[in-house]
Amino acid sequence: MLWVALELPALPLQIAERAGASRDPLVISEGPEQRPVVVCANEAAVAAGVREGQAVAAAKALAGDLRVLPRNPEAERQALERLAAWAAQFTPMSCVDGQGIVLEVESSLKLFAGHAKLSSAIRRGIHELGFHAAIGIAPTPLAARLFARAEARGLQVRSCLELAGLRERVVDLPLFLLDWPAETLAHLTDLGVLRLRDMLELPTEGVARRFGPAIAVCLGRLMGTLADPRVPYAPPPRFRSRLELPAEADGVEALLFPLRRMLVEMEGTLRGRGAGVQQLVLWLEHGRKLRTRVDLEFASPEREADFILSIAREKLGRITLSAATIALDLRADALLTYAPRESTWLPGAREQAIGRERLIERLAARLGRERVFGIAIGDDHRPDRNWKTVSGTISREIVPDTVFAERPTWLLNRPQRLITRGDTPSVQGDLSFIAGPERIESGWWDGAEVRRDYYMAANPRGETFWIFREHRGDQGWYLHGVFA
Amino acid sequence: MRATVAQLAQLPGVWRGGELEHAAKPVVATGYDALDRELPGGGWPTGTLTEVLHDAVGIGEVSFLAGALARACVDDRLIAWIDPPHLPYAPALAHSGIALERCLVVRPAHREDSLWAAEQALRSGACGAVLFWLAHDEYAWLRRLQMAAEAGRAMAVLFRSTAAERLSTPAHLRVALAREEGALQIRIPKRRGPPLAAPITLSIGRSSAPGSPAIFAPAHPVLVAVA
Repeated sequence: MLWVALELPALPLQIAERAGASRDPLVISEGPEQRPVVVCANEAAVAAGVREGQAVAAAKALAGDLRVLPRNPEAERQALERLAAWAAQFTPMSCVDGQGIVLEVESSLKLFAGHAKLSSAIRRGIHELGFHAAIGIAPTPLAARLFARAEARGLQVRSCLELAGLRERVVDLPLFLLDWPAETLAHLTDLGVLRLRDMLELPTEGVARRFGPAIAVCLGRLMGTLADPRVPYAPPPRFRSRLELPAEADGVEALLFPLRRMLVEMEGTLRGRGAGVQQLVLWLEHGRKLRTRVDLEFASPEREADFILSIAREKLGRITLSAATIALDLRADALLTYAPRESTWLPGAREQAIGRERLIERLAARLGRERVFGIAIGDDHRPDRNWKTVSGTISREIVPDTVFAERPTWLLNRPQRLITRGDTPSVQGDLSFIAGPERIESGWWDGAEVRRDYYMAANPRGETFWIFREHRGDQGWYLHGVFA
Repeated sequence: MRATVAQLAQLPGVWRGGELEHAAKPVVATGYDALDRELPGGGWPTGTLTEVLHDAVGIGEVSFLAGALARACVDDRLIAWIDPPHLPYAPALAHSGIALERCLVVRPAHREDSLWAAEQALRSGACGAVLFWLAHDEYAWLRRLQMAAEAGRAMAVLFRSTAAERLSTPAHLRVALAREEGALQIRIPKRRGPPLAAPITLSIGRSSAPGSPAIFAPAHPVLVAVA
């Protein structure tokens, strides 16, 4: 077994600054309402002299324009769960652990070509999500977490791949990196036990008797002598993510950067499930319960963040927002099976089909679905009805094997009444008949009965039209098509 | 290093006056030998704009491209019709051999959108042919389309009025159409090669003798006037 632990230091602050770092001092507060204390402070606040553990009142005295956000343990838990769901793209065994997640990656090493490549892929992914994490790699989850915490504190730790080498890697690490109760740690400090080296030299039974069995079990799990089973996080069968913006965003462009972070998170989650989404709802929240809904729909399940972002960009470019946006909420309620796209070195038929669908999606996103369509032959002999539009994606339709007389390239939306001189119709000059008549009639079954004689006729300029004489009603001449 | 004239002529975009350019990109045969002979590379170019200038409508300005369109959509590529003046009529397209399931009609609401749609279609590489009718003539916009066409590999045809002949164009090829005595006359005001001496005449489409019998045999009952 090989475990990768991700530790997210100052998680509450990371969540608050995920949509973009704020330049003003910002702290996260915790504790009783009367005397909240600072749990994390951003760079600007630290530069002003604010420290962790300070009272918020003292911090406010140090930095005048200090923004204080209360700590939200629920949001932290959700963020870690979503991170675990996102990490499912690397391994099926990912779970929330402390202020981070742990992944079992032994079985994924081959796919990602080694632990170094895998951990750099994870690092890159975390960065794209808008988080930063310290990474520890070890044969047990607790040791991996220990290494990650050590890295977060700036200690140099080399990852350990074999259980045999674990002892020598951990012995120099301080005990306070472990999640032990403060009084236990204080007690051990009094005894002069500061590092794991000292701890591991103590007899196990004595440790269990004096500090409680939990401590002994923890040491056993850390060193791999006791089993440490974990339950993989099972994400709900939908995707939801909400991101608060660091400042009110007026335009649409400013939304794309935070939106991309959410889409990357969604892509990882979907990858882990082998799923894609066909419908997405993006809510732009403006505050005071005002929000704007943006629907994103695709012809087939999609998950690539950059593609979805390009569609969203076109959609967002079309709307005018009534107010500035303060938060984004992305929801996908149905996760569908995703058919992975094979990629080839040479662009072939499959590649074309993908480009084709993508092109249609993109056009439809900006212009509207009704403005982008395919055409097909309809099941009728009347000219108005023997064609039809088919929606965006083009399926291979069976073309009825009907021999048609020559038909015009353009069909007018509705026939246009022609002026006649005597009994000769004219379109910028008298028309002379080239072919016809072709009688097209009937249609009593749907109430749109026609009785027309169609002719092909040209004017002196050589412009050729498809005209007909109406035999019902006004007996007039009409223009219906152009032989362009 | 000295290059001989023969070597220079091998460079893309370099050709001798009096000869046609050797097209670097594949061309789509027009289906008319007389026309193929006069076009660089022997057909409609891909990856660059082609302008078709015409004033009269209904002279066969679209159907003379039909053979090339049928060939352009091989390997499953699309034929995009962007903002056509009327609806392309499915039976006519099917009749001329164009695969209907490859046709994509785009009817944007305004001119910025049609320019954008044309650009997207050209760039995507998913289109074998892009036909567009734009209601504006600004050189800068055409230049943008030319760039987009170079990025893709579609046969890109822009339909304009002959008034545009006086204006300069970034397109590499320009043909002007007129109907004379029942035949389609094609002039080539711009091509990468020597000027065309006499217009090409293609007798395509319908016979123009008035009153001649119908030239088709429809499946359903049709009254045919016999001369």
